[in-house]
Amino acid sequence: MNSPVLHALRCVGSTGLARLASFTGLTESDVESELIDLAVIGHVTHVFGGWSLTEAGRAADAAATEGELEPAGTRPALVAAFDDFLVLNPELLDLCTAWQMRSADGVTTVNDHSDAVYDARVLALFADLHERAVVVIAALAAAVPRFGRYEPRLTTALTRAQAGELACLADSVDSFHTIWAELHEDLLATLGIARWGG
Amino acid sequence: MGWVRHLSGSLADPPEVLGGKAHGLVLLHRLGLPVPAGVVVTTDACRAFLRDGELPAGLLDELVTAVGTLGASTVAVRSGAAVSMPGMMETILNLRPTPETLAQALKSVFASWHTPRARTYRTLHGIPHDLGTAVVVQRMVLGDRDSASGSGVAFSRDPTTGENAPFGEVLFGHQGSAVVSGRSLTGPLRELDREPVVRQGLFAALRRLEQHYRDACHVEFTFESGELWLLQVRPGGFTGAAAVRLAVDLADEGVLTRAEALVRVAPHHLQHVRTPRIASDADVIARGLGVCPGVAVGRVAVTSDEAVRLAAEHPVVLVRPETSPDDIRGLAAATGIVTARGGPASHAAVVARSMGKPAVVGVADLVVGPRSVAFAGNDIGVGATITIDGTSGDVVLGTPPVVTAGADEHLRRLLDWADEVSGESSERPEAERLAAAHAVLGARPSPGPGDVA
Repeated sequence: MNSPVLHALRCVGSTGLARLASFTGLTESDVESELIDLAVIGHVTHVFGGWSLTEAGRAADAAATEGELEPAGTRPALVAAFDDFLVLNPELLDLCTAWQMRSADGVTTVNDHSDAVYDARVLALFADLHERAVVVIAALAAAVPRFGRYEPRLTTALTRAQAGELACLADSVDSFHTIWAELHEDLLATLGIARWGG
Repeated sequence: MGWVRHLSGSLADPPEVLGGKAHGLVLLHRLGLPVPAGVVVTTDACRAFLRDGELPAGLLDELVTAVGTLGASTVAVRSGAAVSMPGMMETILNLRPTPETLAQALKSVFASWHTPRARTYRTLHGIPHDLGTAVVVQRMVLGDRDSASGSGVAFSRDPTTGENAPFGEVLFGHQGSAVVSGRSLTGPLRELDREPVVRQGLFAALRRLEQHYRDACHVEFTFESGELWLLQVRPGGFTGAAAVRLAVDLADEGVLTRAEALVRVAPHHLQHVRTPRIASDADVIARGLGVCPGVAVGRVAVTSDEAVRLAAEHPVVLVRPETSPDDIRGLAAATGIVTARGGPASHAAVVARSMGKPAVVGVADLVVGPRSVAFAGNDIGVGATITIDGTSGDVVLGTPPVVTAGADEHLRRLLDWADEVSGESSERPEAERLAAAHAVLGARPSPGPGDVA
């Protein structure tokens, strides 16, 4: 059984309703109702003020994502698009860093966002990277459709930043960077690639 | 004139042609310092390649002939633009130089100029896209040849405090890439006592380069069977308290006038003078890259759950192999974070800065276990107290002394000089006092005199 909420917990780690709703596109009440069903069958548990997976829940989601890759050609297509994602990943992190820090007189300092010209330049580069990311996400979604959800989420974060919500690029829990990191984790989880050393 | 130059002290081309790296190597030659034999392919050749999509006519023949004169069985092929673009372009080590491999190496270094990431980097830093990179081809010197071989980086003065004593890292039995990448745990420069000839040669070179630049400097070096070789030099680059102390000391030594010393310190540097730092005599158990400044003291937690739980009673430092989205809540509960992997633009660094928490990433030889962490084989249990410095990247067991205003005396004197120049002595923020002196001196915010890298 594929449960978007179960999979969200595998990608995001322990968290609350708001982030699960953002990840899945479901309402918080729908998320909560599914969590209760999952808790009844022992797949999730509520600890430290957040929901997290049990070992059984992790195994169930791993089986579900393995099933998604079974149709012929799915895995190679996803791997190829993942390689394209990995090309963009360091550039995105460079951009987040440039948004947070900037170099002045050889000193790296916190970007206090007082220089509109600099901010506009970084924002334009985010927009440029986003255009290329949309192409990669389309390729991911062609292999496994649920990856398509990342596109509107990233677009929303970028649009909000362009409208002046500066934290939406790298400094909030629903920032472009956070959503990107969730996509990265989702790809690793789906492809069964273990993170190094643990 | 051709596409290729032999590296020597008589080479007169500017950095725009040779790139910053080769320009520094020419200086080393000129000062009679040891540099592995090498040649440089000019930025003109790169621009021709980028324009036409193929190596310009005659380049490969010239290069093959020139490399042939080096008498090297293996060479290093490194990029070097007029403006430093660290880590953005290809480097190829241990290449056996045949016409085919040299052509392949040149093409891959040239082509790396136009990766989207490199383009973005240049746009961010205002570097023109049509500069192109030079390519340095040098005889490989082998830091991994035997027990009297190794690699390191060294500053002419301590880049943390500005103290007038050589400072750096050395790694016996490894090539330089292992030092720079942070894959292995390096030792302090005093380990060079094992190789006194190398140490003396290195320290003399640093003094000679300081005289030339009238500024502190930084070199990458390798020693092969007890013989020292310099691979790169860069002047300046000191920030914060170190920049202040360096400028005041150079004025005291008669190297700079007081007016020159004032101009060397940008008002921006003063923002960092008071960032807390771990005192430099602390017993460092590991070192990574400091990516968010400040000192954090706390008990080791190895998962986000544990960080949240332990943080209810004591400050916690989260120690992770690398970060995943789950670590955001762990870091939110912690006072700082250490990761084994990652660089200045890793997920961990981005998240730590978003929360303003001191962070050290890319700690080589860090292994995170279920109930303990091992730094270079030293087991430290969950709950033990460690201290991290998000500027230097140092990790220390326990609670070492922390210095917050190490430059106080030097800073006071520099600002007194600033007031003498500006003729103002009212109570003002430190950066304003310096800026007022700069205004009188007509200073432009410019780097040091020899800054080519």
